[in-house]
This record gives sequence, structure tokens and C-alpha cells, in this order.
Amino acid sequence: MRKIIIITMLFTTAIFAKLNIAVTYNYLGEVTKAIGGDLVDVTVLSSPKLDPHFITPKPSLIAKLRRADLLIINGGQLEIGWLPPLLRRANNSKINVGNSGFLDVSGAVELIDKPKSVSRAYGDIHPDGNPHFALDINNIIPIAKLISMKLSQLEPKNSSIYNSNYNSFSSKMERLANSLKEQYKSCQGKKVIQYHELFNYALKAYGVESLATIEPLPGITPSSKHTLKVINLIKENNIETILQDVYHEKKTAKFISNKTGAKVNIVPHDVGAINEANSLEDFYKIVANRICQ
Amino acid sequence: MQKIIIGLSIVSTILLQADNNSSLEKRVESLEKALKANREKILEDKMKKAMSSSDSFNQKSFNPDISLILDGSAVSRDISNDDYEGYSIDGFSEEADEIPFHKNRGFNFNYAELGMHSDVGPYFTSDAIFHLHPDEFEIEEAYLTTKKLPANLDMKMGKFRSGFGRINAIHQHAQHFSSQPLVYEAMLGVEGLNDAGVALHWVAPTDNYLMVGAEAMQGTNELSFGKSSENNLYIGYIKSGFDLGDKTSILTGASVASGKTEDNQDSKLYNGELTVKYTLDSYSNLNWQSEYLYRDRDDVKQGGYYTQLLYKKDSNWEFGARYGALNKNAKNQPDDLKKYSAIISYSPFEFSKIRLQATQDKSKSFGGKRKTENEVLLEFLVETGSHGAHAF
Repeated sequence: MRKIIIITMLFTTAIFAKLNIAVTYNYLGEVTKAIGGDLVDVTVLSSPKLDPHFITPKPSLIAKLRRADLLIINGGQLEIGWLPPLLRRANNSKINVGNSGFLDVSGAVELIDKPKSVSRAYGDIHPDGNPHFALDINNIIPIAKLISMKLSQLEPKNSSIYNSNYNSFSSKMERLANSLKEQYKSCQGKKVIQYHELFNYALKAYGVESLATIEPLPGITPSSKHTLKVINLIKENNIETILQDVYHEKKTAKFISNKTGAKVNIVPHDVGAINEANSLEDFYKIVANRICQ
Repeated sequence: MQKIIIGLSIVSTILLQADNNSSLEKRVESLEKALKANREKILEDKMKKAMSSSDSFNQKSFNPDISLILDGSAVSRDISNDDYEGYSIDGFSEEADEIPFHKNRGFNFNYAELGMHSDVGPYFTSDAIFHLHPDEFEIEEAYLTTKKLPANLDMKMGKFRSGFGRINAIHQHAQHFSSQPLVYEAMLGVEGLNDAGVALHWVAPTDNYLMVGAEAMQGTNELSFGKSSENNLYIGYIKSGFDLGDKTSILTGASVASGKTEDNQDSKLYNGELTVKYTLDSYSNLNWQSEYLYRDRDDVKQGGYYTQLLYKKDSNWEFGARYGALNKNAKNQPDDLKKYSAIISYSPFEFSKIRLQATQDKSKSFGGKRKTENEVLLEFLVETGSHGAHAF
């Protein structure tokens, strides 16, 4: 009798076991939840309030990777500074690069800003191109498609659910993308500066031009010489907006703003980076609003 | 009249259509032609390339990830070089271990570290780390790691730094201070536990991080072991990590190393470690790290510890202080051996670092006499190439 109970228990847990998915960033968690629904358990490895390039490789993250059936990463070398040692220590061959439990979503989108020549003399550059593609709402749809394909591959029996979840997600996002495009038509041709080349995909989507970054080179802290150059550039081009992320120091942007009268807009780089941007929809609305206003 | 008009219009539309059709046909024809020409051109280019093929045996894309680390220092010390080279620590070492870093007053080029990492196949990865000193070539580490063992196990084979304790496995350039804590210096020396052997690790499927490791090594470390006529060293450790809220992470561990000394005495080394890291923002944190080591050799029981606090102010600056002591010593030997260190690190970019370290060491004897050593050193460090990210 006991054996039968144990066997049925094992069987039922096997049937109702949710797919355990670890994702590196919050937006990937939101998309995965939208596609996977009740069939998946999603763990986000990093906090959206911190710099996505430099996540503290906490031991607790190893435990999360150890239990994952699927790991979904942004890719484009955004995680290269923190994820590989954690992945190595987790000893979970299922989610290693090249195995079916590993998914890099950068393959689903077209990367821009690919450097013509790669050298660390140009700072901490990304050799494959700009990895901050999640900022463009038009990229989230192919990413969702890729995730739904991966979930269907791992669990073919639920593929119709994943498919229909994807269909409703993509039509919702398409509607939002169209309405944002319409709403911010007047934004085209606007000129801004930003701290790091973090918002380029959103700028491209709305036809905004970024003329400079506050950091002299990627990963290098601002210098007074470079800051002066930026101030002059703002004055020459009558730039009215400085785009600042949540995690870099804000002193330099404020200083430049005081000298030039340009307004500092805090733009979220991920869902949850600021409290108002707690869903994908709100995130894209706020990004568009703060870039264009 | 009406009929005629209708008839005419029908005729003209037919005629027009015919004209349309023929122009469409022409366009399709010219497109097909262009497509064909294009295809032929591509094929021709391909053939031209194939005529002088040079990539048949090109294996460049299989090259390992290569990294190079350079380390040098300028040292000011109130002990002469000759005295410093022959230092001893009462009750622990009669004669100094080799001193690979910051050896001379004045300028030192400490090492160039050449690292290579590569996948061997679907089942193994290989790592090799060479230390090139001005007059010595040293294989610091060279090992294989398994990739596909079942049950979340991994195995390491070759020569490598043991996972014993908190800092034994961490390379000099990745540590927060320029020189070692006193208790490591006294019980393990600069090389630490670094031997030929095998290691097995298992990560438990628990909510918190729990890792268990077992190693078997040759045991060549002369300060605590050293009977290298056969493999004599067995090491076990358990490490656990968890978070307290969003900002605080804790890593603790306990390790045991059991082996035999050169004169066939039993020697056991115990270690307890605790690291607490408090995140202030993306680039700033507080890091408190301590270790206790206890050695039991037949009838001699000795112990020591260090504790250090580091404040990383931003992506450029880090400040730290460390206190270390040997608080338990053999009979009739002093147990008030202490060392104080302070450090300021400046990192202009992620892959370069300049550190200024001040040390007062009250533990060493020079020429048989205990004497306080004062030292200030400035160290530079650069990492180039594809060097992997560092762990917690």
C-alpha cells in the first residue's frame, strides 16, 4: 500500500512539476512568465536597480542555477563579467552553453553598434554589438517567439499553450508599439546625450539622435576634460535632454545640467529599474515618454 | 452608340491588358536574367577563391582563450634584503619559504602570468596557468575539469590550488591585499596548498548554496605536510552561502586537510571561514572576511587567524585594513605574533590596478632575533586578453 502511495506521489509530482527557469534580467522574467504562465517557475538572478554588467556573483545564485531546468540569458556579452564562474560552480550540465537547457536571446534580434575594430583601448566594448536591445519594444516580440519555441522544445505536450500565450503577448505588444510610435512621432530628429550607450535601441526606434556619452569610453568614469567637451557640445547643438540611467553616479549629469540648462531624465533600462516601470507595458511607455519629453 | 462605346472600351482594356502582360513578362525575364547573372558571379568568385584555397587546415578558431597578467612592485622596507630572505617565524618556520613576490627593496618584477583556457571536447575543459618569474618558469596550475558528470558532480585532475579555506584557491592578483595573511604565511607559505591530485565537488539541490568537496593530493607543502614519497594529503570541505535580504550575502565554510610531514608525523590542518558582503550599489560594497586555522601535529597544537575589512568606494577606489595573529603556539614559543596591513587600491579601468600597501609585522625573526618589520609597497597589476570573470 505504502509503495503505491509513494509511486503515485512521485508520478503526480512528475506530472505537475513546473519547469524551473532561471533568467538573468527582469525583462526576460516578465516575457517568460507571459509565455509560460502557470507551467513555469521563474527566478530572476539580478536586481534591475543595479548595473547589468556588474552583478555581484553571490553564492546564492549558484544554488538557483543548480536547480534550474532552463537558463535564459540576454547574451551579447552582457553577462560575461559575472555569470560564467557561477555557471561553472553550479555543476548543472543541463543549462551549460550548447545544451538544450540554455538559451541566449540575442540570436533573435539584430544587434547594432558592432565595433569596427575591437580593442580594450576603446574601453569596455562589446565585440558583438550593443547588448541593450531590450530597450526597443520591437525586439521583445522575436525574443518572446524564441522563448516560446524553447519552451515547446522542452515540453512538446504544452506547446499549444505556449503558442497561444505567445500569440496574445505579441499582438498586445504590437498594439503598444504602434500606439507609442504614433504618439511620439514628433520626437523624430530630437538630439540627446546619455551616460552610457544604454538607450541606443530605443533612440533608433523613435528616430532620436545621441550625440555623446557622459562617460568618455564605455566603463571609464567621467573626466573633467570630457565633461567640458560634452557641455560645449550641448550648447552648440541646443540639446535639451540628458538621459541618465538609475545605477551610474548622477553628479556629473546634474553638473552638466546646471551649466547648460539641459534637463536630466532618469530612464529605466529594465522592468523594475524604477518603481513606476513594474510591467513590460509600463516600462516601454516610460522609456518612450522620458526619451521624447 | 452605347453599344459601340462599350465594345470599344472592352477592346481597349483587352489590348491594354495584353500590353501589361507582355511588359510584365519582359520584367520577369530581365529579373530572371539578373538573378542568373548574379548566381553565376557568386559561383565564379567562389571558384576563384577555391583555386587558391588557403584555409583548409586553419585551426585558429580552436585556439584557447589566452590571458596575460603582469605584476610588479616598488618596495620600501626597514630590513635588508639578506636578512629578509632568511626570515623565520618562531615555532612555525625555521627558515623562510621561497619569496616570489615583493622580495627586494626597490623595484621588483614579480611575475607574468600566462593563462589558457579551452574546451577539450564535450566532456572536459582544460586550464593552464604559467607563472614566469625573471629567472624561473613555473606551472602554477594545469588541470582538466569534467563537464558532463551526472548528479551535479564535477571532477578536477592535474596540478591545482586546493579549495581548502577561503583564499587558498585565489590567485595573488585576485586577492584584495598584495601579500598574504600571517597565518597562511606561517602554516602554508606563499604557494599554499598547490599540488598534483584530484578533486571531486558536489553541489546540493538546496535553496541555499551548499557545496561539498573532497581532494586527494601529493602533499608537497613542506610547512604543514611534505612527505612526498607517496601521496599523503586528503582534504575535505563544505561551503555554504545564503543571502540576508537583498543587500547582504554570506559565505561560510569548514575545511580539513590531513597528511604526513617529511618525518612521517601525522599532521592535520583545520580551517573555518566567514565572508560577509554588504552591497551599497553596483560599484560599491563592504566586505568583511575572516579565517581561523588550527594545526595539530602529533603533540604540537598551533592556531592563528586574520580578519579584514574592505570598503569599495566606487569602480575606482578600494580601501582595506587587515589584522592577523598567531595566538596559539608550541610550548615555550611566543604566542603574541601579529601583523597589521592597510591598503588603498586604485583601478583606472576594470583590468588594471595600482595598490599601495603598508604593513607592520611583529611576527618575524631576522638572523635569530625578533624584530618589527615596517614595509610600504606600491604594486601594479594589469590583466590583458581573455581573462575569465572572478568568483565571489
